[in-house]
Amino acid sequence: MIGRVTQQTVQRSTLANLQTNLTRMSDLQNRLSGNKSITKPSDDPAGTASALALRSSLRQIDQQSRNIDDGLGWLTSADTALTTSLSTVGKARDLVIQGGNTGSLTPEAREALALEIEGLRDSLVSQANTTYLGRSVFAGTSSADRAVVAVTDATPRSYTTTNEPGATVERRVNADTTIRVDVDVTTAFGKDVPEHVGADGQTVPATSSVFATLDTIASLLRSPGGNPTDQLAALDGHRDAMLQQASGVGARHNQVLAAQSNAMAAKTELTAQLSGVEDADLAASIVELQMQEVAYQAALGATSRVLQPTLMDFLR
Amino acid sequence: MSTFSGLSTALSSLNAQRQSLEVSGQNVANANTVGYTRQRADLTSVEPLAAASLFSGGLSTGSGVRVGGITRLGDIFLDARVRSETGSAAYAATRAETYARLESTIAEPTDRGVSHALTTFWAGWQDVGNSPNSDSARAVLLESATALADRISSGYAAVSTQWSQARTELTTALTEVNTTASGVAQLNEQIRGVLASGGSANELIDQRDVMITSLSRMVGANATHREDGTVDVMLAGNALVRGDEANAIEVRPGSADTLAESGKGVTLQWAGNGTPVGAGSGEVLALVSALAPAGDEGILAKAAASYDAIAATLVTQVNDIHKASFTTSGAPGGDVFGPTDPASAKDLHVALAGIADIAVAGGVDVTVDGVVTRRPKGTLDGSAADTMATLGASTTGPDADWSTFVVGLGVQSRSSTQRAAVTEATRATAEKLQLSTASVDIDEESVNMLAYQRAYEGAARVLTAIDEMLDTLINRTGVVGR
Repeated sequence: MIGRVTQQTVQRSTLANLQTNLTRMSDLQNRLSGNKSITKPSDDPAGTASALALRSSLRQIDQQSRNIDDGLGWLTSADTALTTSLSTVGKARDLVIQGGNTGSLTPEAREALALEIEGLRDSLVSQANTTYLGRSVFAGTSSADRAVVAVTDATPRSYTTTNEPGATVERRVNADTTIRVDVDVTTAFGKDVPEHVGADGQTVPATSSVFATLDTIASLLRSPGGNPTDQLAALDGHRDAMLQQASGVGARHNQVLAAQSNAMAAKTELTAQLSGVEDADLAASIVELQMQEVAYQAALGATSRVLQPTLMDFLR
Repeated sequence: MSTFSGLSTALSSLNAQRQSLEVSGQNVANANTVGYTRQRADLTSVEPLAAASLFSGGLSTGSGVRVGGITRLGDIFLDARVRSETGSAAYAATRAETYARLESTIAEPTDRGVSHALTTFWAGWQDVGNSPNSDSARAVLLESATALADRISSGYAAVSTQWSQARTELTTALTEVNTTASGVAQLNEQIRGVLASGGSANELIDQRDVMITSLSRMVGANATHREDGTVDVMLAGNALVRGDEANAIEVRPGSADTLAESGKGVTLQWAGNGTPVGAGSGEVLALVSALAPAGDEGILAKAAASYDAIAATLVTQVNDIHKASFTTSGAPGGDVFGPTDPASAKDLHVALAGIADIAVAGGVDVTVDGVVTRRPKGTLDGSAADTMATLGASTTGPDADWSTFVVGLGVQSRSSTQRAAVTEATRATAEKLQLSTASVDIDEESVNMLAYQRAYEGAARVLTAIDEMLDTLINRTGVVGR
């Protein structure tokens, strides 16, 4: 139908066009000033789904980075303690070999060696009680502030460990992986267990902790004719156990460091993706706004002209 | 043919042109009146007097012109089209507006939404799991749990408020519908009276059409014209207005008054006999559809049900894990969130009494003398916190539910907005067609006025000519040789 055109229809359609132009301008200005292309879900439902997922992943990675930092603290403390302990045990081994020269040493010299061995033992106990942020790194999930407690009022001294058997401290480093960040005090430093009958009916031989072994060495040095080199094998066994734990800690430390660099890379990647989904393309928006402004001004100009003249202006 | 009949012919022209000019004047005066339909004076030539006489004979010219009537240049088909499009457009626009308002309350994707509160909550668990002995980490977790519960319950409250507002709007809109319908009935009566006495009721008809279009916008009513000039306004097959009688519609007693009882539904009925009002369009019916129960696709009740479902998932999953965990004192954990039976978004709150009640230690089965007991893996174990935190990435967890809800709402809002835009464009087209027929064109009126003015001048010239002829006849004849 070819419509009859009147001032009113022109006025209506001009107003409607102005309104459309202004709405587009307002949308663009909103997008530019907020720098967001998605301000509400209906702007881009699929993009909103991505944005929600990306935001949640980003938050998870932030948290995993915090977990990783915490885990690194634990592993570094354990590593330092084990390395120091290893050199302490090495020193003790030298002293034992020195004390093995039973013929050339005076009882005073042997007493001095025994005292030094006891000093090394105390140093080992303090290494075993290393803490990180108030928690003993060798005590696992226990709330005890010390992993090893020496009972000094009996002779020989006894050592009790406070960790929960089988419980480990783990940190989540990514969505699928948790890494153990503690070391069990009994595997690193040994445990005092007398000979007993196991659950299978077999006799389990006695084991002793490195502290008890050093105590035995000291008492051997103090007793005339005692030869501490008997204990070398036991000491070497403790050294091997510590080495094994130290290398385990090193390997896990590497794993956590790898997870850290992965997390950083993933964060950069996710941030870029989120920005791609959610943020406005500034250059494109500005160009669009410019064009929209031109269109709006043209519409305004047209409006001011269209409604001006009527036949009235020309009839005299 | 009498000597003076020419004078009366000229006089009829003077009268008719003047009357036509007046109609043009009325058109120009109402060029911007809403709902005004342009009018035109119908000029009809007057046939010669047929003298009932034996001696009459010969040719005779017509005896001038008269105004046969003042025609209203509307088109009832275009009017009907505008009404039907107005009803659909108003329906779509109201639904789109409901969705948009609902969407604005969920604040996604921002840092103020439920999604952010959820991720913060999960992260809080990991911090407590890393250092179960840290009171500050526990305090932060408790705070983020409270924030999450607040966010969900305030989201629900916003839906509830919107429901109540829509319910109030419905009552107000129905009052307007009923008032307008009685207005149409009154105008029907007046128009019938004026037409029966032979008058012109064009302006009253314009007023009535504006009212009927307004009824179309409100309830999607359409109009049927009757021979006596009245209009019946029909709504889904029943008469809202018949002749000079209007029938009121009302909300059926026993309909829901709050979101909590929205399951009862909100339905409309005819006030006279209690018959349900059938399906229709327009704002009122869009409000009714927004207020419907969740099972009937009610926009607001469905959103509220989604909030409830998310709250239920959150409460069940978090409480289950927490109850299988142990606090640092070795006691099993209690409920993190309440209420539990049934879980509700409206009353969602943190049920933990204090930071000491947060349980993050995992349990392990220990067999002592053949009796299996569950005890914590360690006082400062944090493995249960890690299990809790992985709920955030679960595809059946509250995060996934929320994301589904948000995206679903986004899709519906977008499609309803697009629908509203399309129906509005159709309505605008229909209205433009209607206006192009009915609205006043100043140029056209100027030309008409010019024509009427010239015709008036012409008739006056005829008068002068006849006058001069008579002057010749009366004053100049019979004076020969004087």
